[in-house]
Amino acid sequence: MPGPTMAGSKTEKYVDTKRKDDIRYANMVAAKAVADAVRTSLGPRGMDKMLSTATGDVIITNDGATILDKMEVVQPAAKMLVELSKSQDIVAGDGTTTVVVLAGALLKQCLNLLGKGVHPTTISEALHKASEKAVEVIKSMAIPVELTDQDQLVKIASTSLNSKVVSQYSSLLAPLAVDAVLNVRDLDRPESVDLRDIKVLRKLGGTVDDTEMVKGLVFDHKASHTAGGPTRIENAKIGLIQFQISPPKTDIEQSVIVSDYTQMDRILKEERNYILGMIKKIRATGCNVLLVQKSILRDAVTDLSLHYLAKAKILVIKDVEREDIEFISKTLNCLPIANIEHFRVEKLGYADLVEEVPVGNGRVVKVTGIKNMGRTVSIIVRGSNALVLDEAARSLHDALCVIRCLVNERFLIAGGGAPEIEVSRQLGIWSRSLHGMESYCVRAFADAMEVIPFTLAENAGLNPIAIVTELRNRHANGEVNTGINVRKGQITNILEENVVQPLLVSTSALSLATECVRMILKIDDIVSTR
Amino acid sequence: MGQNGELFKPDAMEEKGERARMASFIGAMAIADLVKSTLGPKGMDKILQSTGRGHSVTVTNDGATILKSLHVDNPAAKVLVDISKVQDDEVGDGTTSVVVLAGELLREAEKLVALKIHPMTIIAGYRMAAECARNALEAGVRNHKDDLERFRSDLVNIAMTTLSSKILSQDKVHFANLAVDAVLRLKGSSNMESIQIIKKCGGALKDSFLDEGFILDKKIGVGQPKRIENAKILVANTAMDTDKVKIYGARVRVDAMSKVAEIEAAEKIKMKNKVEKIVAHGINCFVNRQLIYNYPEELFADAGIMAIEHADFDGIERLALVTGGEITSTFNDPENVKLGHCKLIEEIMIGEDRLIHFSGVALGEACTIVLRGASSHVLDEAERSLHDALCVLVATVQDSRVIWGGGWPEFLMARRVEELGRKTPGKKSLAIDAFATALRAIPTTIADNAGLDSADLVSQLRAAHSEDGSRAGIDVISGEVGDMEKLGIYEAFKVKQAVLLSATEASEMILRVDEIIKCAPRQREDRM
Repeated sequence: MPGPTMAGSKTEKYVDTKRKDDIRYANMVAAKAVADAVRTSLGPRGMDKMLSTATGDVIITNDGATILDKMEVVQPAAKMLVELSKSQDIVAGDGTTTVVVLAGALLKQCLNLLGKGVHPTTISEALHKASEKAVEVIKSMAIPVELTDQDQLVKIASTSLNSKVVSQYSSLLAPLAVDAVLNVRDLDRPESVDLRDIKVLRKLGGTVDDTEMVKGLVFDHKASHTAGGPTRIENAKIGLIQFQISPPKTDIEQSVIVSDYTQMDRILKEERNYILGMIKKIRATGCNVLLVQKSILRDAVTDLSLHYLAKAKILVIKDVEREDIEFISKTLNCLPIANIEHFRVEKLGYADLVEEVPVGNGRVVKVTGIKNMGRTVSIIVRGSNALVLDEAARSLHDALCVIRCLVNERFLIAGGGAPEIEVSRQLGIWSRSLHGMESYCVRAFADAMEVIPFTLAENAGLNPIAIVTELRNRHANGEVNTGINVRKGQITNILEENVVQPLLVSTSALSLATECVRMILKIDDIVSTR
Repeated sequence: MGQNGELFKPDAMEEKGERARMASFIGAMAIADLVKSTLGPKGMDKILQSTGRGHSVTVTNDGATILKSLHVDNPAAKVLVDISKVQDDEVGDGTTSVVVLAGELLREAEKLVALKIHPMTIIAGYRMAAECARNALEAGVRNHKDDLERFRSDLVNIAMTTLSSKILSQDKVHFANLAVDAVLRLKGSSNMESIQIIKKCGGALKDSFLDEGFILDKKIGVGQPKRIENAKILVANTAMDTDKVKIYGARVRVDAMSKVAEIEAAEKIKMKNKVEKIVAHGINCFVNRQLIYNYPEELFADAGIMAIEHADFDGIERLALVTGGEITSTFNDPENVKLGHCKLIEEIMIGEDRLIHFSGVALGEACTIVLRGASSHVLDEAERSLHDALCVLVATVQDSRVIWGGGWPEFLMARRVEELGRKTPGKKSLAIDAFATALRAIPTTIADNAGLDSADLVSQLRAAHSEDGSRAGIDVISGEVGDMEKLGIYEAFKVKQAVLLSATEASEMILRVDEIIKCAPRQREDRM
């Protein structure tokens, strides 16, 4: 008996086509659920989410990418939406919620279309065409922006910050973000900005108001105090070392054999002399600030060497990570030194002031007035509690990204749902000139676009239907820049209100969301594999 | 199980005769049905969800990838998985077609077996049919090897046909040209290694580009030149820390701290000597597979040499290949080391990442395709699709015969096979007819997947093919019968031939089976 039944269950794995529709449906419903989860955090009046992670940490955020990242979804299609938000984060850095909400709306329309028996690939192709047309429409609305126009840039950064917890500080953070990005802009490559040249430091204590940008270098460590070394040095000569000031240690295993008491004394003395010799060499170059790279094999500095360094009036910052070395050497315009024999004057960096300052409950070391400083900046973000602090840092990151987008593509468009309504309207008109299924699908795409103004209005506590219909009406009358003014709760010319966003954020949200939805549409089965 | 108990181990299974055949038919057809829906330009995708750790997700349309990762228990199904794998290795494309065709052949064979026709007769009929189909296919080829311009347009068309069933279909013109350019750079060699594919998240698919030269996803050491012209490159695989005594327990005994310091200094000197030896090669770029530590890095920086550490194995092998150098690990003999050369090394930015770009490399064939896309799923799938296209193109460059696609070859073959069937007396003719029916199943599936009325289309096509020299095939976009020449739907002869022959062989093999013996699985401790 057991033989045949076992064989039967293993071989007869015939997949019925009926199941495929179910899988597609299930995928889309799951993905839509993800989109619904972040829907309420869209826009300036959007709400925040509190996430309690597996490790018990609590995060409060409004940032779509962060919410989705921490949600730990397992359904494969839902995971794709999480990925989508991550991609938007990489491309544009902002609009991570928008992109997911948009994908959710598209999926909803697709479900309708599938219910009417339209073939998924037909929908997929029509969506692609519609998204290309939509990008065209948005591009036609774009207004060029000059990077020299600081005011304009600040306005754009403010729009991004306004939807965050820290919106009341946007007047402070926005200029800061603009300043930071413009400072690190590489003049040889005007089209790109590397955000890794902006170091963001989080320090608990104070309020977000105390956030500041330092044109120089900030270390999140305090200077070494153990032996009473100096904490403030003017006219600093800074050495960045990758070797250790501690008793020698060889790669080969070794042991020192001590046979009697006198020898022990001698060894101690030798150790002292050895370290002193090193410090003398350092001192000889006039170096008075030492940055020591962390070492895993042995102590980077010992109590003894710190003592001597303190006596030599050298400020020491230890435990510098290897990854930071490049950033530091770029900023200070100095070269890292990996051997005491190479400790030469030309490898040092110069700064007017190196000073340890108390920030909140900790201390940081600031290096300012750096000679021939590289194109980097540091920002110290402050916040009254860890949650606010993290959210402030995330919001700042978004603002930085927004400015970076503008450096990449120097166009901006109106915010407040204006471009979406315009796309919806124009695609609606366009769909009438098409035939068959395509026309129907483009129409659905146009309807899906209205989700952004709809949600914006809803989250702001306005009547979404009234708002969206009025917006449509205004746009039909040729006022393409009218959008929802959430603060006033009415419809105005959004450009006059300075609610603007970079073109890249909108176009990439549109095309990425469409790409993702098309991918989900084309899936008809989930196969489990090893 | 009673009577088996004496012959086999307790858990072993034995199936005989009809049962065994049914089991393998059903298994093979189930596999074919699973991938069937991915066939053709409007085929669907599958999510592959790993049951292993991390539950990683892959979205794909590639038959070989789907089948490779399946849990398959049925022996006949495994045969189909294998032919798909072989197809992937041999020609790179047609991995789904081969499985679907084999499945259809078996489906037809099942009907014949039910009519009490001996499997060997079916096999003989299939063989004759396959031979005839191959000849028909060969008669239908066109060859533009001598006419460079037309050959190129053939290649572009083939690439577009291959890509149209994949994720890249929207940008197929862009990618087809990209793939053709890359393959033509190879100048007839089949060395796919010199085409490097780099995936970078961000941007859209159409931002992908072909770059002459080589891109290494690494960083240049601190304080070293970021741009080198006329570079001389030494590619090495060597440990840059001190050479350790490998004998276990070796240790040095000293009696003073200064001696320890001396040893340390000696170790440093050894490192320095090594670096000096490397520098003595007269190079200005040093690429090492292993880590370069801080100290040597500084020495290199002092010598004005660009040092790149921790390049992956694949990377350095390829780099050595394209720059014409050799991977070295000893440096005592500078004269006899072959250095790599290139015109320019510089740092470039793609998306948010910095990469090192080697241009003007010695091996002119080398090039890099940088893929951009929304997510890692898209990128992985794009890479698979592009890989398929490249494989087909390489195969076509070697065997420049092309045929039309869109179901055209299947109908042509089916017609010839049917003619053969009419002439053949005996039971074999039934098998030959069955073969023709199986061939037509492929265009039927393509039409079905596109949501078209397959019965109508197939009958129309059949009528169209009753004339000699017809170019009719399925135009999936408009849903009608179309002229394949005008639509530019081309396929490589080599791919189609491989599909035909290996599907026939596989079905033959499965047909021959009349007994399955499954050995007792090995017991594991952690079995549920």
